[in-house]
Amino acid sequence: MKRTVALAGLLTLTTAPLALAQDAAAFRDAFLAGETGWPAVEARARDEGEVNFYYWGGSDLLNVWVDSMAVPALATKGVTLNPIRITSTKDVVDVILAEKAAGKRLGDGSVDVLWVNGENFATLKVQDGLFGSFAQLLPTSANIEWNAEDPRSLLNLRDFGVETGGAEMPWSGEQYVCAYNGDTVEEDALPATFDQLKAYLTENPGRFTYVKPPHYLGNTFVQQAVYAFNPDGTGAEPFQQNRDDIAPEELARLIAPGLEYLKSLEPLLLNGSDSGARYPEDPAAIDGMFLNGEVDFNCKFGIYAVSTGLSTGTYPEAAREFIFPEKGMIKNKNYLAIPANAPNPAAALVLVDWMTTVDAQATKLEATGFPAGIDGWTLELSDRAALESASPGLIALTEEDLEANAVPDTNATLVDVIEAVWLDYIERDSTEGIEALVQRAYETLGQ
Amino acid sequence: MPPTTSPDARARLWRAAQLAPVLSVLVLLFGGALVLALAQSLGFAPWFGVNTFPDPSYFGSLWGSADFWVSLGLTLAYALAATGLALILGTALALALVRAFRGQRLYKYIYKLPLMIPYTVGIALAVLMLGNGGMVSRLAAFVGLIDSPGEFPRILNTHYGWGIIAVYVWKQTPFVALSVYAVLLGIGRDTSEAAAILGANRRQIFWRVTLPQILPGIVSAALICFAFNVGAFEAPFILGGGYPDTLPVVAWRYFNDADYTLQIQGMAVVVSIALVAGLILFAWLALYRWQERRMGRR
Amino acid sequence: MGRLSPFQKIYLFLIAGFILGPFLPLIIQSFAFRWAWPDLLPGTWWLEQREKSPIPLAWDYVLSPYSRIWEATLNTVLIGGIVTAICLAICLPAAKVLARDRFRGKSLLEFGLSLPLIVPETAIGIALLMMFIRLGLAGTYTGIIIAHLIPTIPYMIRMLTSVWQGLGREFEEQAMILGASRWQVLRLVTLPMLMPGVVAGALFSFLVSTNIFLLTFLLGQGKIVTLPTLLFSKISGGQIDATGAGIALIVTVPGIAMLLISERFLREEAFGQGFGN
Repeated sequence: MKRTVALAGLLTLTTAPLALAQDAAAFRDAFLAGETGWPAVEARARDEGEVNFYYWGGSDLLNVWVDSMAVPALATKGVTLNPIRITSTKDVVDVILAEKAAGKRLGDGSVDVLWVNGENFATLKVQDGLFGSFAQLLPTSANIEWNAEDPRSLLNLRDFGVETGGAEMPWSGEQYVCAYNGDTVEEDALPATFDQLKAYLTENPGRFTYVKPPHYLGNTFVQQAVYAFNPDGTGAEPFQQNRDDIAPEELARLIAPGLEYLKSLEPLLLNGSDSGARYPEDPAAIDGMFLNGEVDFNCKFGIYAVSTGLSTGTYPEAAREFIFPEKGMIKNKNYLAIPANAPNPAAALVLVDWMTTVDAQATKLEATGFPAGIDGWTLELSDRAALESASPGLIALTEEDLEANAVPDTNATLVDVIEAVWLDYIERDSTEGIEALVQRAYETLGQ
Repeated sequence: MPPTTSPDARARLWRAAQLAPVLSVLVLLFGGALVLALAQSLGFAPWFGVNTFPDPSYFGSLWGSADFWVSLGLTLAYALAATGLALILGTALALALVRAFRGQRLYKYIYKLPLMIPYTVGIALAVLMLGNGGMVSRLAAFVGLIDSPGEFPRILNTHYGWGIIAVYVWKQTPFVALSVYAVLLGIGRDTSEAAAILGANRRQIFWRVTLPQILPGIVSAALICFAFNVGAFEAPFILGGGYPDTLPVVAWRYFNDADYTLQIQGMAVVVSIALVAGLILFAWLALYRWQERRMGRR
Repeated sequence: MGRLSPFQKIYLFLIAGFILGPFLPLIIQSFAFRWAWPDLLPGTWWLEQREKSPIPLAWDYVLSPYSRIWEATLNTVLIGGIVTAICLAICLPAAKVLARDRFRGKSLLEFGLSLPLIVPETAIGIALLMMFIRLGLAGTYTGIIIAHLIPTIPYMIRMLTSVWQGLGREFEEQAMILGASRWQVLRLVTLPMLMPGVVAGALFSFLVSTNIFLLTFLLGQGKIVTLPTLLFSKISGGQIDATGAGIALIVTVPGIAMLLISERFLREEAFGQGFGN
């Protein structure tokens, strides 16, 4: 008996690679239909043996966490985790789609799991580049609020307004927060609205800048300005719609005041008075400017950015967080997605499942300052406490402050349009009207 | 040399076999990539669902925009300024190196260092030295010239391109110096000593004797530098002044745009860069021929 | 040509400062924890924070496997070595033909072989990536090695052609007349005389390969990290922190090693053959 089992094991081992490639699609269909038990998934993951995890590698802290926590955890499950650090998620989306175009299907692509959100997810979804609706089938999906009637489930069901459809699993939740240097800026001089920011910069020209679109940090700042100057006063609301549901003229009308504001802000930005405003290209760049006192405020996603910045020496010692803009701080989540041509689909599922555990989420929060993506209220009390004690802590703000000023992200299909208009209208100083630019963006992006 | 007696065909076949591996890399990869870039810039991109080959509209809209010419101008201006500076500094360095001085052995190690390390290191050094929060700015604050980093004149990320030029010059001065130095060693001292005996002064020796001899070396070093600078991506990407960017950065941005049709436009930029490089090569060949004829070699 | 003029002395000093000077703040930065404007030295050093910090900082991070610096170093050296070997193997016969034979289309061929020196990587990188994705070579060592052949071949060909020219057929023929076998000719005459050019060509291709950024970055797709791509990812925003500075210093080390090796094995003129003329 024992011997036959061993023999069978040997047989499966030797024939595994061939069989795996052939039945990847069958595995997917059975799993998505709910017919495959989790132990079977784990067994298959062991046969696949490895998983390629693509993620933005710009944070030393996250790199250390992935190597020191995620890799050993997956190893205990018999899966070798290959962390692949990338500089731009868009490049990986291009790779996935190019491989798909070259006829590579499930089982023979190169990306198993991708850290993603917003337009990149929307692109994958539209181009049919995703594995399928897997998220709610994972054991740890119990840690996420899926009930659509609970308003707190919004960011689990929609990513930049686009329905996730279970094709990606929340990994982390973030909010756009600004920091100031307490040594150089008085607390009562802090701006709370975009108009106050402009007044502050009129007093102190050149003491601010924001990350340049198309970087998502720049896009988000632009969206916040667009919300604040929404001529109907409805803030983020109309921007939740899909591009197909809003006419270009209407979108142009809604975003024009925000873009006009940003245009008028440009001469007041860093170096704006002489050779044209200087926009940093990424978070490291704006951190450096903030540390050196080139700018007074540092705005980016990062509820705990000040805490981690202090622990790595990248923020000035007197850095504190503040509310800006009031009632308009974009909150979103970021996710783990599995592409349609993942080479190791079962191992990918096992990885995403582990990433959603309380243990993974708490250690990640503690080590990197990236907030948890799972929802505290779904957890047992002890787990909730573990998550709370892992938090690096807010500096000068409370959770309630953040919650009270949170607004949702812009629909991913509109993000591309607003980004294109910003590039044309502000960076390239186009003389065409905003409406013409929106029209053109609709045309080119619609292709 | 006696004429080969073996059958011509066999010799030719053997020759072809010896050349084949190198040729295949060159033709298939290098040539193939260039042809593919050209085809795509003319509208052949079935993988994006676009196939309007041959379609000159991508070049039309690219070359029709004023921004393209600004970008081209910036690209050429940075490349030219850097090449010129590296030429002068490098030639002067080579002329000093051929003399005897103490510590020459060590110096020969030092000056070649930038040649050996990637451009990215040079860029890292530029960021650290020349940024508004960099060392030069801090020294300026230390001696009381400025009170805040904003007052420091912007060196990096401007359209004057000082930072880009600084990195190119840092990396290429040793390159020019080495090329010229090698030629100087090769030609020896006979002619310049003869000129000195005949009563020429230092300046005359340089302009009339040395320079003509090292000129071919200088020219080809200059062209390699210039062509490299035109196509360089990292330095203008990190240290450039933003829009309008140099051509390689423009191509990069097009390839990273959410709008996939812009990728085809990016190929038109890439082909334009290759065209500029081709023109440079053409100029070099013309110059070389002219030089050969003047020297009476052919 | 006599001694240095006073002006030249100052000039040499300035150039050395220009080349080496910036490395001083780079070294300081690599040991810094927090170093803000306008401090000329870090306000807080890494060593002061080292015990307190739960995470590896500065050199602790750089020298750990987390930074990928060892992987990148190994990749860089490995790719450089294989590229050099292949390049040498395919250029040696081709250079012989170019040096000794006369045939139709030779000047066109020579022209073609020097094209990659002038046509920049940018012009071919993206199209090459598309080809490689089709062929399944993107993100593989094979793909990167093949791509690195393009910019290394011109240098190798130049170096080897010039040694083949210097060698001339006469030496081999004389040895044959004196009764040496083909193998003896190769071993005792041809190879020793080719050696200086082979060494020079190998050093050059290795140097060129280890310095390539864009081709590796595009074709490696993040999967294959080399020293130039690792450093680029660190500084692409135009800022450099302690770990970035540490990585930049490590990226410099192979260059210094190359410098020592080439000073030992290469004569200055050999460089000239590779670059200029």
